[in-house]
Amino acid sequence: MVKRGQGAESALIGFSWLAALFVPTVLCAMVGFLVVRAWPSWGAPLFFGDTPALAALTGRAPVFDGIWPACVGTLSLIGLASLIAIPLGVATGVFLAEYAGRRTRMAFSLAVDLLAGVPSIVVGLFGFALILLLRRTFAPDANTGLLLSALCLAVLALPYLINATRLTLETLPAGLRLAGFGLGLTRWQVVSRLLLPASLRGVSGGVVLAVARAAEDTAAILLTGVVANAGMPGSLTGKYEALPFHIYYLAAEYQTPAELAQAFGSALVLLCLTGTLFVVARVFQRRLHRTWSGMEVAAWR
Amino acid sequence: MAVAIRIERLSVDFSGKAVLRDASLEIPKGGPTFLLGRSGSGKTTLLRAINRLNECFPACRTSGRVVVNTADGAMEAYAPDTAVEVLRRRVGMVFQTPNVLPLSIARNICMPLEATQGMRGAEAEARMEEALREAQLWSEVRDRLRDPAVALSGGQQQRLCLARALALRPDILLLDEPTASLDFKAAQMVEELLGELRSRYTLIVVSHGLSQARRLAEYLFVLHDGGRVEELGKDVFRDKDALLTVLGDLL
Repeated sequence: MVKRGQGAESALIGFSWLAALFVPTVLCAMVGFLVVRAWPSWGAPLFFGDTPALAALTGRAPVFDGIWPACVGTLSLIGLASLIAIPLGVATGVFLAEYAGRRTRMAFSLAVDLLAGVPSIVVGLFGFALILLLRRTFAPDANTGLLLSALCLAVLALPYLINATRLTLETLPAGLRLAGFGLGLTRWQVVSRLLLPASLRGVSGGVVLAVARAAEDTAAILLTGVVANAGMPGSLTGKYEALPFHIYYLAAEYQTPAELAQAFGSALVLLCLTGTLFVVARVFQRRLHRTWSGMEVAAWR
Repeated sequence: MAVAIRIERLSVDFSGKAVLRDASLEIPKGGPTFLLGRSGSGKTTLLRAINRLNECFPACRTSGRVVVNTADGAMEAYAPDTAVEVLRRRVGMVFQTPNVLPLSIARNICMPLEATQGMRGAEAEARMEEALREAQLWSEVRDRLRDPAVALSGGQQQRLCLARALALRPDILLLDEPTASLDFKAAQMVEELLGELRSRYTLIVVSHGLSQARRLAEYLFVLHDGGRVEELGKDVFRDKDALLTVLGDLL
């Protein structure tokens, strides 16, 4: 019996190891594949086409064959969507964890879970329908564009932020709240000066997920303003280019091997871009924690 | 005998379950006043009722009166117009387990000062030093004020919690078994500290330790199940045998 039990345990440990190895293996295979396929197109022309890099970067010359406008479009989308979603998501998470009554919390949590399950194409359709409604009512000139796409992406990212904030706040030790209240801090001071800073790590995890969601989504932006050749984004309501759509477009419609290689190059750029954003978010979170805690070394986790 | 806190017919229940019922007592200024009683008799609930900290727990209902005499006059703790934050600043609290904030040693004291009194910079640092000296911790931490507070030993953490409460200049200090989670030496140090603080603050201590109560208490109340509060005279609680006779069947 003992031997049988040991065998089962060994099998379980082996399976756990295999399962744990699966993720890095898939990641390495995917990144490796991307790098190999993107390599032929990698270089300044991938970004700027025939336009001199400096002229393109300073906006003195338009870029026709490069992905630079798509990079700027994606960054603008991420920035705008984050500006809308982060304050809204964190505030909702704080409300659910700290202020809402039991019934309100249950109702709101159900709504958040339902929102998380809405496919992005449906959100895109909703955005498109919103524009139609605006055109027929009090804004006849309303059109799809960068701001509408960012709004749709913010809606998609909200559940990640709300849940991350709420769960992190709820799992903080009860003694932290009690210590704060015992010192005569108001509820808002306990939340803003103790609980939120203490949950920075969890909240920033939610922000990273939300940013990733905003960066990769194609379906929602497809119906709300992205186009293949718009150049640099000019205004909040104007059309724009974005990396995920550019990849999708090239992969579906490429005419030459060079165009396919550019699609792989764009995919690698998108991966690097989100990776850089994750690192920036982590560094920012550590610096914030250090400033808040007044510690030389951020030893508390 | 000046009264620091007057409690009248205080009842507290959590989710409909009565923890304290009709408890009445008058706690004198100074002290230390010790509260003894069996586990579950409501000692901690009584302590937390004074600074309304029970309200931080779900489904808590309190009735009765608690009048706290502070330097600024009498405060009716449960009056509708009483600002609970102000009450809690006048009545500081130290918990059974040292609950330092996840901040540096300095920020543990300066953050509450900044939040509650808007005190910053040199003024806050001076107040911090004063509080740390009062809690006999200054010499041990003066060179590592920016280290995380959680890196301190248990006894040091408890003295930091005491310093944090003292920095807010309360009139009354509630101490919920302040030495229960400490080793002998650290507990002895905190006890000595309480002996020194008794002249400047009204101290109310919940304790399980009879010998500690005998050594330190100036006044002693026993909480019986059902909310009856009995005051023991000094002649009873200073005498070990007399105290054991009174408390034998209770503790």
